Amino acid sequence: MSVEPVSYDHMIACPQCDGLSTKPLLMEGQKAVCKRCGGKVMERKRDPIRRTLAVALAGLLLLLPATVLPLIGVSAVGLFNQASLLDCIAILIANDYHLIAVSLTIFTLAVPVIRLLAALYISWCIRTKRITPALVHFFRSYHQLDSWTMLHVFLLGIMVSMYKLVALAELSIGLGLVAFILLLICSTLVSVTLDKHYIWEQLENGCEQ
Amino acid sequence: MSSEPQVKTAKQAGLGQCLKCHKLNVITHKDQRCSCCQAKISLRKYRSLEYTLAWTIAAIIAFFPANLYPIMIFTSLGSPEASTILSGIETFIKLGMYPVALVVFIASFIVPLGKMLGLLILIITVKTGSKVDPKHRTQLYHLVEFLGPWSMLDVFVVALMAAVVNLGFITSIEAGPGISYFALMVIFTMFAAESFDPRLLWDNLNNDD
Ligand SMILES: [Zn+2]
Ligand SMILES: [Zn+2]
Repeated sequence: MSVEPVSYDHMIACPQCDGLSTKPLLMEGQKAVCKRCGGKVMERKRDPIRRTLAVALAGLLLLLPATVLPLIGVSAVGLFNQASLLDCIAILIANDYHLIAVSLTIFTLAVPVIRLLAALYISWCIRTKRITPALVHFFRSYHQLDSWTMLHVFLLGIMVSMYKLVALAELSIGLGLVAFILLLICSTLVSVTLDKHYIWEQLENGCEQ
Repeated sequence: MSSEPQVKTAKQAGLGQCLKCHKLNVITHKDQRCSCCQAKISLRKYRSLEYTLAWTIAAIIAFFPANLYPIMIFTSLGSPEASTILSGIETFIKLGMYPVALVVFIASFIVPLGKMLGLLILIITVKTGSKVDPKHRTQLYHLVEFLGPWSMLDVFVVALMAAVVNLGFITSIEAGPGISYFALMVIFTMFAAESFDPRLLWDNLNNDD
């Protein structure tokens, strides 16, 4: 005698306090909060796939100018120097600060790029209804990345550096900085537009069929 | 706790929520995998408190070299001058650059210390079954999580300044060994926050009703 497997697909648990509730039926743009702790349990975003596609694509296009174009430049006593994100990494490697070079590469380059690429790829696959079990594994890894993108911290770093350098030399702003700020905006917007609940529903339904 | 609405938790129902795709699974054995995304799941994060404590201790150890070794070596007209995080802040105060002194002091000294203290408080309150409102402690957890990447600020500032301030032999900035320990400390506290399971903060509530 085996016990009939019970499905709990109509239930949902709060990720923050584990409180159980029935899965709410949400309209686009609505969200449900937990009645126990007040945290967000579920959210249904507006037009998630198309918006994510657009934002992720824009972000990826900005990537090259944001990395190779100079962010800021300094000039003093007739000498001039400027640095891009890649220059920062190169200088750290040249001075044997490998740990910092790797951290900088991962947090301000690799993780943001992988996030944008993953968001683009997932949205594209769902839009064209090409759902495979491999895609499920792929999207599972996506969730790990959110807390490790540090574009915003680097931007504050640029601002603090500029403030520090004002006393030392004459400053100029590079085109790379403009691209970098736009990249940061796109990267932030991806987490706003991407609807994880919706994507998981689509992935789960797609695999069962 | 009469004001709290009586909510059954997923754990009490023998259900584990997948932290990746939010699907509820009946937990029957160890090493179980989510039926939707195949991620490893359990009622609570595996050895959450032990891992959080271990990473926090590692961060506390790294805090000392991070503050004792110089993070930046500034060469002006041939005379090198090393500065630690705290002596750098002191210089800003002497120069009257109070806003940047405050930003750097908060980001690189108060925030890391506060994060480590917050993590210890969370571990202790779970261990001792504290009755302090879990809502407040969950807020503390979210604060620790949110602050995570911001302490990387100084690391990025040094990296950028080292790349841009390279005006021949006259003036240059180099990273100091403290910066590596500082980055390690930040990464350790981020791992600590990631290992912590906020649902533990709410479990005490259920033990006494
Ligand atoms: Zn809750
Ligand atoms: Zn799952």
